[in-house]
Amino acid sequence: MFNIKHWSLAQREAAAGYFFITPWLIGFTLLTLGPMITSLYFSFTDYNIIDPPVWVGLQNYTRLFNDDLFWQSLRVTLYFAVLALPSSLVLGFVLAILLNQDVPAVKIWRTIFFLPSVLSGVAVTLLWLMLFNPELGVVNKLLEEIGIKGPGWLSDPNWAVPSLVIMSLWGVGQNMIVYLAGLQGVPPDLYDAARVDGAGTLQKFRYVTLPMMTPVLFYNLVLGLIGTFSYFTQVYVATGGAGGPARSTLFYNLYLYQNAFRYNDMGYASAMAWVLFVVVLSLTALVFRSSSLWVYYEGELRGRG
Amino acid sequence: MMHARHYKILMVLLAVFLVLAGTVAAQDKVKVVIFVGLGTGTDPDQITQQEALAERFNAAHDSIEIEFLIVPHDEAPTRLLAMLSGGNAPQLVGPNGISTIARFFDAWADITPFMEAEGFDTADFYAPSLELNRYPEKNTGLPLGLFPSFVIYNVDMFDAAGLDYPTADYSDTAWTYDEVRNRGLLLTLDSNGNDATMAEFDAEDIVQWGFSDAWTDTRGLLTRWGAPGIGRPTSEDYRTSTVNSEEWVNGLQWYSDGIWVDHFIPGAEQISSMETIGGSPLESGMLAMFYTHTWYLGEAILDLPFDVQVGAAPFNQKGERIARIHADNFTIPAAAEHQQEAWEVMKWLTDPAQIIDVCLIYGCVPARASVADDFRASLQAKFPDLNLDVIFESINYLDNPNHESWVPEWGRVNDALNNAGSLITSGAGTDARTVLDAASAEVQAILDEYWAGQGG
Repeated sequence: MFNIKHWSLAQREAAAGYFFITPWLIGFTLLTLGPMITSLYFSFTDYNIIDPPVWVGLQNYTRLFNDDLFWQSLRVTLYFAVLALPSSLVLGFVLAILLNQDVPAVKIWRTIFFLPSVLSGVAVTLLWLMLFNPELGVVNKLLEEIGIKGPGWLSDPNWAVPSLVIMSLWGVGQNMIVYLAGLQGVPPDLYDAARVDGAGTLQKFRYVTLPMMTPVLFYNLVLGLIGTFSYFTQVYVATGGAGGPARSTLFYNLYLYQNAFRYNDMGYASAMAWVLFVVVLSLTALVFRSSSLWVYYEGELRGRG
Repeated sequence: MMHARHYKILMVLLAVFLVLAGTVAAQDKVKVVIFVGLGTGTDPDQITQQEALAERFNAAHDSIEIEFLIVPHDEAPTRLLAMLSGGNAPQLVGPNGISTIARFFDAWADITPFMEAEGFDTADFYAPSLELNRYPEKNTGLPLGLFPSFVIYNVDMFDAAGLDYPTADYSDTAWTYDEVRNRGLLLTLDSNGNDATMAEFDAEDIVQWGFSDAWTDTRGLLTRWGAPGIGRPTSEDYRTSTVNSEEWVNGLQWYSDGIWVDHFIPGAEQISSMETIGGSPLESGMLAMFYTHTWYLGEAILDLPFDVQVGAAPFNQKGERIARIHADNFTIPAAAEHQQEAWEVMKWLTDPAQIIDVCLIYGCVPARASVADDFRASLQAKFPDLNLDVIFESINYLDNPNHESWVPEWGRVNDALNNAGSLITSGAGTDARTVLDAASAEVQAILDEYWAGQGG
């Protein structure tokens, strides 16, 4: 039965494939799937980490909907997503277009713009804390030069989230590099054809570049969406884990962390994690669903034709 | 004559015997692992000193062996929880502040049975310090060290303004929060040298502030204002929120007005700037009076380009002096396997013979009165110009119930209060009653949910 000599080529290839992915499967099962299933179980329990979990059914989930801070954390996260996601998509795209031009030392420029995105989130946050210092920071000093009194940034509840959005744009090089790869994959003959048809720069962008880039936009949108809902490190460092001032930066993941490791309420935190999972999954599914309306796949169109 | 080969075999057997015998002997000793990292104790020099302390203990004890398990501060809470939930509890945990004990309150054993079993004498400990570890259902540990509070001030700024220093005399009833405000206004200067009492004073261009108590949380700010629960935000039975008590409203309004009306207290933005400049508000050279604790007295204080001195905590509006305190002790986890041995180690660490050395490692004032003179001598050698009477006298006015003490859902309650505090310091809210009424409703909801979960 297990005599490999009797196996077909396809079976042997499959066996080899499974053999080579076994380490990943083991890692996935033990380090991802296992904890996920365990957290699903915890989400139905009252578990303070010290004592054994006690089954409470749906209590953690019902409690969520009566928790003002849960809603506050959702609001903060959505507010951040609404500001940060389009900003990073647009800015990354604009930078990619600029760096796709035939300008001197373009490779050096690309490196310079990509470099910040490889730096550690903690180090970058500490740097921005200094830049955003209301009285000593460079940002307000520059604003002062042009006659504007800068806000309190991270110490002002109204400006704290916008400050974090600006900080997040520091890592836009990641998006930019993906766009750049996409831009360089646009067939030049399409631009030639457009030029022959009398298209100007804006028309070429509107009718060639943009449609051809929609798969890349889609990719960055999905990753950006997941990224904004996973936002944690920067706000944890910037606010010392408190989500202040006045809870203006109480992001979903920060509140989840507080429940798990500050309040030792692991059951409730697990329920929050699963709600987040469902929210992100739903939004991602919506984006996927909408993609047939706006994402252009070259092969797909040819198929229709 | 013994054959060389036989001799070698004999030596090997002897070596094996000795190793085995040693192992058996080591196994006879109960190992008490001391988990360090929730508070202080993780600096390299502290680690070396703790190792030396362990050697000293181990050399003097046949039945117990101690080992300090040093865990980086950031990882310590999760590591401890993992050890507790994994059935691998350390035997002793510390040094812990009162807030750390409150945060993991359910994890600790009650030491009362050990104390009662041997009639343990606590007379030598400062009486109020014993209360800091005592709750209705348990006593979490023997007092080890205290961190009394005081006003540390920039002598040069007082001299320049021609003002009296904050008093060092604890019987001086003129030193009140009104007086702090009066002197704070005169010490607050704009860039043109106008003080905060002058009509031409520019509040948008302040370069020197009068007073700050920024390095504490909201309970810490309000504990000194004489509410019935002192630093506890609930009734004695922990069922009713007392967050919006008249005393706390009065205290928070004093801070709010100090920041937003009188401008002698720096808000969150200015504190952030001062910390960037100097590491702390006082060290920035932009603050005249800073309310803080003995843990602030580090090497940096010796190198400041201005003179500093310490003064007493002011009297509050009720004519009471309440000087906030922090305290450290060691605790025995309820899940610890060798609690009796851990108790023996706890006693040893807090014994008069060791307590000074232990406190010198952790930077606290020993909680035993009998060693006060010896410890004071070592502290005076380090800070020859500081008036240590102020610091030691402060212990007599400590806040009990303490501002870090346990309440149900300690983390949630404290976060609700800290949100209230940040509303004031950020300027999002300036009316203390409105802010504390909202915080009280939030705390009451947390308490109600907690007690409902406990079966009413």
